[in-house]
Amino acid sequence: MNSETRGNLIKQGAIWAFIVVELLFFSIAGEYLSVSDKAFMDFDNMLLLLKQSAPIGIIALGMTIIMINGNIDLSVGATFALSAIVLLDSMTWPFMAGLGDWAIPLAWGLALLTGVVLGAINGLIVWKTGVDAFIVTLGSMLGYRGLVFMYNGEQPTSHLNWTLVDFAEAQFLGLHTATWFLLVAALLLWLLMTKTIHGRNAYAIGNNREAAVNAGIRVGPHFLWNFMLIGFLASLSAVVFYSESGSVNPNDGMLYELWAITAVVLGGTKLTGGYGSIVSTLGGVIAIQLLRKGLGHIGADTETVNLVIGLILIAVLFLDRQLNRKGKEELKI
Amino acid sequence: MKLSTKLALACTTAMIGGAAAAETMTIGITQNNVGVDSYQTTYEQAFIAAAEANPDVEVVVLDAGGDVARQIAQMEDLIQQEVDAIIIWPTNGEAVIPAVRKAHQADIPVIVTNSNIAEAGFDFVASFSGPDNITQGARSAEIMCDRFKALGIENEAKVVHITGQPGYTTAIERAQGFNDRLPEVCPNVVQIDQQPGDWNREKSQQVMEAFLVQYDDIDGVYSGDDNMGVGAMNAAIAAGRVDGITFVGATNFAVGYEAMAAGTYWGSIYQSPVDDAEAALQTAIDVLNGEEVPFLNYFDTPKITQDNMGEFTKPVF
Repeated sequence: MNSETRGNLIKQGAIWAFIVVELLFFSIAGEYLSVSDKAFMDFDNMLLLLKQSAPIGIIALGMTIIMINGNIDLSVGATFALSAIVLLDSMTWPFMAGLGDWAIPLAWGLALLTGVVLGAINGLIVWKTGVDAFIVTLGSMLGYRGLVFMYNGEQPTSHLNWTLVDFAEAQFLGLHTATWFLLVAALLLWLLMTKTIHGRNAYAIGNNREAAVNAGIRVGPHFLWNFMLIGFLASLSAVVFYSESGSVNPNDGMLYELWAITAVVLGGTKLTGGYGSIVSTLGGVIAIQLLRKGLGHIGADTETVNLVIGLILIAVLFLDRQLNRKGKEELKI
Repeated sequence: MKLSTKLALACTTAMIGGAAAAETMTIGITQNNVGVDSYQTTYEQAFIAAAEANPDVEVVVLDAGGDVARQIAQMEDLIQQEVDAIIIWPTNGEAVIPAVRKAHQADIPVIVTNSNIAEAGFDFVASFSGPDNITQGARSAEIMCDRFKALGIENEAKVVHITGQPGYTTAIERAQGFNDRLPEVCPNVVQIDQQPGDWNREKSQQVMEAFLVQYDDIDGVYSGDDNMGVGAMNAAIAAGRVDGITFVGATNFAVGYEAMAAGTYWGSIYQSPVDDAEAALQTAIDVLNGEEVPFLNYFDTPKITQDNMGEFTKPVF
């Protein structure tokens, strides 16, 4: 038991140790390679880091829960784009225009509702058909993206509202608006996963679905709730991001599902389910954004980022496998 | 360090005799999507080459990979790094406006390259460097008219016009340039129809097929770019009517260049990604040196026809 706890500690600490290594590396390398006079570990730069982590980060938090369930959701990128379109387009609808700035919270509500509905569709299909979530959400990824293109063709959907931009750019207690959303969402989900029955059920189902069913957990509705939750989070991410940018391309959010999954896996959550943590996912998200930022800072090619993240991902999975095997072997003895 | 101080320093060092190296200017660029087509790939290579050739310039070259969120983050990073100027190739002409405003508020001049941002952001931009689409349209009209004169049909020729995607600034401006210029140079040429081809070769081919059925006499086809022009040409080839028709496009694509070499396509406008990149860097340098730069700073896009195509290398895209 002791070695298992130690293994857990190593696994949960690994991502934060990795972040420290990244920070040190980019600080030192930046001294020699960066054309900028500013230090990489500048306080403002770190605040920006958190803010820039928000779009993928908020989605990755939801993905953690889905993956702890042993499921996956590939449709989040398309949900993100569709919610963004609803957010921006709804503000131009005639009856909304009459509401003045009150149109903003209403538009937010509509966008978030879009995400919940799209998530519920995924959840219902997974529940009622029993088809693997990978296939279901692969289908809805294509389908939702199709809806995005049907809405406005290849053209961007735009509505620039400076009140909204000012709100999104604001800094409260030093943290940007997007950072607040990321941190509050992380806190709430951490509470959900560690302090509630729903959270404990999520781990139980991921560990052994049959045992969970036998224990009287209603797996179908549980999945439905979680898919609605990730749909909500995908549109929350869109709401936070597009409040600041005011225009959405029909291909926005593409590959976001993969970045989110990467962050979750970097954070140590198991692809097979039953194990993972919200806090570590936050670490995974920060690690990715740190790499993007850092490699840009030292003047590396942008493509290098993908290569490096890919290599690290494989290294993490290998390390994880080694640690798990060791744990199992020791238990047997 | 403020630019003025930097310039002052540069002047003093120059006067002293260049004992210490003058401080260089740092220019950041965030591109749309390098690697999505060869125009953008060639652009990046040319940009880096131009920057390396200039000892006074250091560049931070970033690529948004087509992702607006990444481009905005890159804008924020460049502002945070306190670069002297930022060049942006917008992934979305409206979504980047707030980020451009942030740079403007941080007193960093922003140069938009290749395709402009929406008008709401003009106040925050120092200059736009890119092709002049109205002139491109006008030059296409001149190519067309010159060809008609050479063929001796400038008093009877009939022209159809295939435009780019409705709503796109580039499409609107090129069409406007062509439609305004053609009656000036060839007052007796008649434009009998104008339809959108949406920048799409297949769509343009269908439009041309319909034109060929509708009109027995077509002497010239103007398309908003070569991609559509080649589509229209293919329709004419299929109908066996390509010989009597003068095809003129814009933005010379490799397919257009090849069709010109084959003798079926007449002319186009040569838009080089190398010129595009060099113009963007030069505009940024000029802005930093305090020179008067026009808000719309165009680079030259010359005419290319079967007669002079030997002077141009084949486009890579």
